[in-house]
Amino acid sequence: MTNKVNKTVNDIKEEALVLYFSKNIGRRVFILTEAFPFMFIGKIKGLLGDILILDVQTTSVPALEGKVWNVHIDSIDVFYIETGIGAKIPHLKDNAEEDVT
Amino acid sequence: MIRKYHVVAIPIRLVLNSFGDHNPNGMMYVLKENEQKVRDLVKKNPFSPVDLVRPLVIRANEGEIVEILFENKLDFNTGMHFQQAEYDVCRSDGANVGLNKDSTVAPFDSILYRLHVVKEGTYFFSDLGNPASGEKGSNSNGLIGALLVETRFSWWTDPETGKTINSGVYADVHHPLLPSFREYAWIFHDEMEVDDLTGNRPINHLTNQEEASFHGANYRFEPINRRQQLIAEGVVGPNTEGEEVHHDSWVFGDPSTPILRGYVGDPAKIRVIHGGVKETHVFHYHVHQWFSDPQDLNSEILDAQAISPQSHYTVEPLYGLGSLQGSIGDAIIHCHLYPHFAAGMWGLNRVFNTLQDGSQCYPNGVPIKSLQPLPDRKAPPKPTKEKPGYPNFIPGKVGYKAPRPPLGIKGGRGLTELERNAAVVNPRPGAVFADPTPKGAPVREFNISLIELPVTYNKQGWHDPKARIFVLDEELDDVCSGKKEPEPLVIHTTAHTAIRINFTNKLPHILDGDAFQLVTRTYETGFHIHFVKFDVLVNDGANVGWNYDSSVLPGETIQYEYYADVELKAWFFHDHLFPNAHQQHGVFGSGVVHPRFTEFLDSASGEKVTRGTQITARNPIIPDYRDYVLFAQDFALLFDKDGKPLQPPNFPGSDDDPGLFGVNYKNEPLQFRLGPDCDPAYTFSSYVNGDPITPIFRAYEGDSIRIRLLQGAQEESHSLNVHGLRWQRQRSNLNTKLEEQQHIGISESFTMETYIPRSGDYLWAFETEEDLWNGLWGLIRAYDELVPDLIPLSDRPIPLKRSRPLPECKGNKPPQAGNPDKVLIEKGPVRYFDIVAFQVPIVYNDFGDHDPHGIIFALRKDMDAILEGKKKPEPLIIRGNVGDTVEVTLTSLLKKELFPFKDGIYPYPEVKEQAFYPPSLRISLHPQLIQYDVKTSSGETVGFNGDQTVGPGESRTYRWWIDSQVGACGMWDMADIRNHKSQGAFGAFIAEPRGTEYVDPYTLKPVKTGANVVLRNPFLPDVREFVMILHDGVRLLDKGGKVIIDPLAGVLFPPPEDEVEEVDTYDQGSRGFNYRSERLLNRYRKHPVLHDLFSSDVFGDPATPLFESYLSDPVTIRLVTPAERRRSHTFHLHGHRWRFELKNLNSRTESFAGLNVAGTTRNLELLGGAGAYGRFPGDYLYRSGNINWDIEQGMWGIIRIHSEVQEHLPPLDQ
Repeated sequence: MTNKVNKTVNDIKEEALVLYFSKNIGRRVFILTEAFPFMFIGKIKGLLGDILILDVQTTSVPALEGKVWNVHIDSIDVFYIETGIGAKIPHLKDNAEEDVT
Repeated sequence: MIRKYHVVAIPIRLVLNSFGDHNPNGMMYVLKENEQKVRDLVKKNPFSPVDLVRPLVIRANEGEIVEILFENKLDFNTGMHFQQAEYDVCRSDGANVGLNKDSTVAPFDSILYRLHVVKEGTYFFSDLGNPASGEKGSNSNGLIGALLVETRFSWWTDPETGKTINSGVYADVHHPLLPSFREYAWIFHDEMEVDDLTGNRPINHLTNQEEASFHGANYRFEPINRRQQLIAEGVVGPNTEGEEVHHDSWVFGDPSTPILRGYVGDPAKIRVIHGGVKETHVFHYHVHQWFSDPQDLNSEILDAQAISPQSHYTVEPLYGLGSLQGSIGDAIIHCHLYPHFAAGMWGLNRVFNTLQDGSQCYPNGVPIKSLQPLPDRKAPPKPTKEKPGYPNFIPGKVGYKAPRPPLGIKGGRGLTELERNAAVVNPRPGAVFADPTPKGAPVREFNISLIELPVTYNKQGWHDPKARIFVLDEELDDVCSGKKEPEPLVIHTTAHTAIRINFTNKLPHILDGDAFQLVTRTYETGFHIHFVKFDVLVNDGANVGWNYDSSVLPGETIQYEYYADVELKAWFFHDHLFPNAHQQHGVFGSGVVHPRFTEFLDSASGEKVTRGTQITARNPIIPDYRDYVLFAQDFALLFDKDGKPLQPPNFPGSDDDPGLFGVNYKNEPLQFRLGPDCDPAYTFSSYVNGDPITPIFRAYEGDSIRIRLLQGAQEESHSLNVHGLRWQRQRSNLNTKLEEQQHIGISESFTMETYIPRSGDYLWAFETEEDLWNGLWGLIRAYDELVPDLIPLSDRPIPLKRSRPLPECKGNKPPQAGNPDKVLIEKGPVRYFDIVAFQVPIVYNDFGDHDPHGIIFALRKDMDAILEGKKKPEPLIIRGNVGDTVEVTLTSLLKKELFPFKDGIYPYPEVKEQAFYPPSLRISLHPQLIQYDVKTSSGETVGFNGDQTVGPGESRTYRWWIDSQVGACGMWDMADIRNHKSQGAFGAFIAEPRGTEYVDPYTLKPVKTGANVVLRNPFLPDVREFVMILHDGVRLLDKGGKVIIDPLAGVLFPPPEDEVEEVDTYDQGSRGFNYRSERLLNRYRKHPVLHDLFSSDVFGDPATPLFESYLSDPVTIRLVTPAERRRSHTFHLHGHRWRFELKNLNSRTESFAGLNVAGTTRNLELLGGAGAYGRFPGDYLYRSGNINWDIEQGMWGIIRIHSEVQEHLPPLDQ
């Protein structure tokens, strides 16, 4: 399906997402992807074309945390950006050091 | 490509260890090229094991045709029957089945078998010319082996020389594109005849009784009895006891059993094969984990896996040898069933870190054989004086017990220079030669002690006066003073945690003797762990090979460190020094590794906790859940309140199934739950008897739950069934099979993740008859409204305030259960079944074996014909489609006078602790896997649910609905598990795809019941559906009216009277499929030719169901095991395979389904349809894989596949 200027639905989707993510640079985001490592929580640092640059705080794999990861927006299945309106994304902490018996 | 082998079956003396224990009547398959060499070597070495004498393992590549010229040099007909392969069943079956040509081979004759090896994997082969059990059988004497089929284009070499090989249990397998790997065949087998050096049966030197039966691998075993004798004689191991050094190479040198050698990081495949005849074993491999299906990344991660006879799987250790942490040293491999372990069923995986070129020696001077590095991996460094590599940096002394590890023991020693050279950068207690913990991982520390104290198991005062349990140090006083109830220790952590354990041995030096056990000096203990990552040399909590002895003496504390890399199921922990002596006293526990960020709360108070068998888990990003842990136990050595031992063995120290059963140190035997009217129908009712003392797991309606299932002790299989709650077999796979049942062996661990859809009491039970009778059951109680001592889950709606009081036990009969009409019928058809339960004699075969007191379910319209003998009794099999509501009206027509044992003791098959339990005239019908409200329609009277059983002349309607295409579901009575179920009160429900019609395969008319139907569905091809109900524990009479005391009555060649072994209670009874049993002994008496026993040319077709099909017809087998004993059975169909996970195209494909025990359900879609892809017509045997006491006793039948149209069998519409 195309519109008058021959943009595909996917082009429109991509533009909207890029725009939305760029408006929210500096905010925290929660992302689910279909492929490994499935989940990211982190801060949006910026965009490189349609690739999201992410300062990753938490993923399902501890070894991947505390690093900058580039996530292609096509691989994002679900996302939520903490904008100040609505729920906050939890700050997840390994709690093993607490409550030592 | 055609690959050819010339195989000979020969008689051979099998020397099973270096102590000269041997089987003088052994048999083996051997390549022709090795035959003479083997014979010569064995002649020269009559009392030493010969390397070449191993079960034959040959190899081929996927897609090849394998031609085996098979020559028989034994004095009876033998053959080679291959699992997995496709072949012309008339020529290459290695058996003489039905109307096929005989493909066994007469003595000194030969045959050519031609096999299509379609897929990579293990093709187990064994003899079927002689299906007898016992010492005159062929399988127990060694006629077993394997064809290992590799990926296309592979080749294989000798790990020692690097040269190509034609056979061998070990090989390095190479491929032009894929990584090379070490391949080890680990073939368990059992029940072999063993003589000692003197030619007599081995005697246990402590009890002076005959030794336990043979349990070994690859024609070897290394029993504790033999090694301990060397201590007793003062040859080695001064001041040691025996069990703690059983696996210690410092004391004894290496065992005769398999040592799987490799370099750290090497990829490996262990082909685990059960070539034995009787027992279900548990393969456990220290340090390593693997996927239950190596092809499926969504499959479960395991580190202990049960295996039943004639089944197999491949263990591909994740991250290669030494696992993620690169742990060097000896990782023991063993059957975790302690009596088997002690009998010698163990070996080692030796992981070297320096190059072995043949120039090195072990500390005892024995040369280390060279080991070629895998060609595509960097060779390990050569050993040097400073860095000699494992095991030569360990400061042990040959002939003495292994040294204690450096650093870990509080107040202990530091590192020697050689140890420092071998250590990691920052050696610390518990992490010296491998560091499992990544930098920055949070640490959680637990202080744990092992103590001895008396523990009471039930309300009647059955108790273990010498229970031994793990406790947190902080709770020691409360547990010892009785303030806190003893329960198995379960500690909770999250993934990505370093776990530090300060373990203190607070046991007395001595485990005292009594009617069960001899006095044993259990002076040191350790804390052995599963699943987590650790340094095996110092942290195994064991004493294995050339490793350290990482245990501590009484009063000492040792620090261990592990890392939980990912969310794991419940990891098992226990002592590894004296488990055979004391694990059955309670020496087990578990750690649960939850998802990261989880908090653990007390379910009553909401306060944070670190341990507990029942907690609430709160997580910020996934749903909260209740976490429950169940430990099954057998060999529970209990005394009654007056101090009388319960079920003691014949002599102290015997491993012959002593004692009783427990679950979390409790039991609730059924014999104590008869109410005033003595009706077993209310046994599980809390109205009559109050709640059981066993765990009652609590939740609110709608809560998510995780049940962690483990087995703490000691030898037997158990079968957990949860009535009304089902889970995904593979947790991370939405396409996996739904289950309500799980088989478990000791040390296995399963997590059942599910939720509770409706309020009510759900029964969980280890549901083999003897387990249930002796009290292994409890409840999951889901409340509909708020209760004061249970916090709601934080992400669930808060339950409504309580509007009515909770029910109470008043000792009266339970009220009638509510009307099932309250559940609305959703859109979709309603299927009505009018079912009656009545007594009728059941004839099991044409030889007159029969059960005169059968109890069956049948459609009311069929009852008269059955009673009049016009219709033969069959188990009731009914069907419904997804979307259907099913209304079953059940009427009891049971008559008291037709029960055989009105005095209330059912004499045979028996259960331990027989007691008064009169037959109930009430009956019920409980289905698996489909949906219903437990309060009205679970077909049982449980907890504070109302009565759902029916008395004589009464009727009750159950309403079930089918929300998922679950296929085979068992159905059975829950009113009287002693007097109804093994007598026939079971059947099956099959949940079919929406829109399916069921027609008779011969008339093509619609049917409502039947084991053999054609399924017609507008969107699917027509499918032949064969329902097989595998059952045991049957009490049969012969045609003369004499009780048949199976299994021994069915043995073809009974041993001399003075050698008859006692049969475990759970092996008692006859067995078969669908109320039929074709006992081979009946046939043998008529025509005493062993290899003809399956032949229809000689005997006509068997009494068991004969299923017929045309070539390539789609066929689905629905296999259910509703009843009832604890011995698990393997199901095998010749010449066909199916996917283990039906809906997963990547699933492994096999020709067996193992571990069938009460409650198991299977849906087996034959790949390629009838006759498989190769389209071979003929008679295919379906049978048990248990040579010992199943096949002889009649557990077999035939699927007949026609190539030409038969008048009586209309072809399918395609």
